[in-house]
Amino acid sequence: MENELYVKIETEAELVLLRPLDLFVRNLIQQLPAFSNAEDVVDNVELAFNEAYTNVSMHAYKSKQKGPVRIEIFVRHNYLEIRLEDYGESFNPDEIREPDFENVGESGLGLWFMRKFMDDLLYKSEEGGKNVMRLIKKFPCSEGGLNLNPL
Amino acid sequence: MEIEKRDGVTVISTDERLDAMAAPHLKETVRKMSEETSTKLVIDLAKTKFIDSSGCGALVASLRTLIKNHGDLKIARPSAQAQTLFQLTRLHRVFEIYDNLETAIKSFG
Repeated sequence: MENELYVKIETEAELVLLRPLDLFVRNLIQQLPAFSNAEDVVDNVELAFNEAYTNVSMHAYKSKQKGPVRIEIFVRHNYLEIRLEDYGESFNPDEIREPDFENVGESGLGLWFMRKFMDDLLYKSEEGGKNVMRLIKKFPCSEGGLNLNPL
Repeated sequence: MEIEKRDGVTVISTDERLDAMAAPHLKETVRKMSEETSTKLVIDLAKTKFIDSSGCGALVASLRTLIKNHGDLKIARPSAQAQTLFQLTRLHRVFEIYDNLETAIKSFG
């Protein structure tokens, strides 16, 4: 499937890049006609990306051991995909428990926000230590199902 | 982040983004404040357009730290984005939230 738009950023996963990258992603999505009248959806995608990048820079790579991250944004025919690849510590999203909303703690909301605000979240840890997270958001008002590209 | 004292109540005005970059500073500031017992604190979110899970976590941590030291924390003027997150996570039942800063300050009595 051909991309309507493709962007790739490769850098070290430094927390100091969180805000510049976040704003880049937000501004890019705002330029897409499909998201032009959906400011709340733009907010949600920005938050999901923010959580994913924070997770890579703070948890996949522990604070003293930085590593590379590749961020790719694909605009397909009816959805947006943000893909983050890192070589840090992997995790299994299925083993992460839902937050206890009767007693919300100081951490543990990030993955839940990503799932809540995106239409799909896929995570794969590959041989060679590469971890890939895919955040999928269908265009607001688009019809039809998602026909996701394989990794 | 700006800090001022009004009528015996400390007001922290957070910056545009309360994220993983800002959260540790907020938590540390409140931890130091809590060494003085019975701290009355309002966190004014009027300027904060964006909050994430780290920001929510910092607010929860701040409330817990203050309560442990007989203080209390109220939140004023959250953005629509912050209100959405508070509702979804049910934090709106944990925090006392005010639309108006003066009302939040006066609520300490």
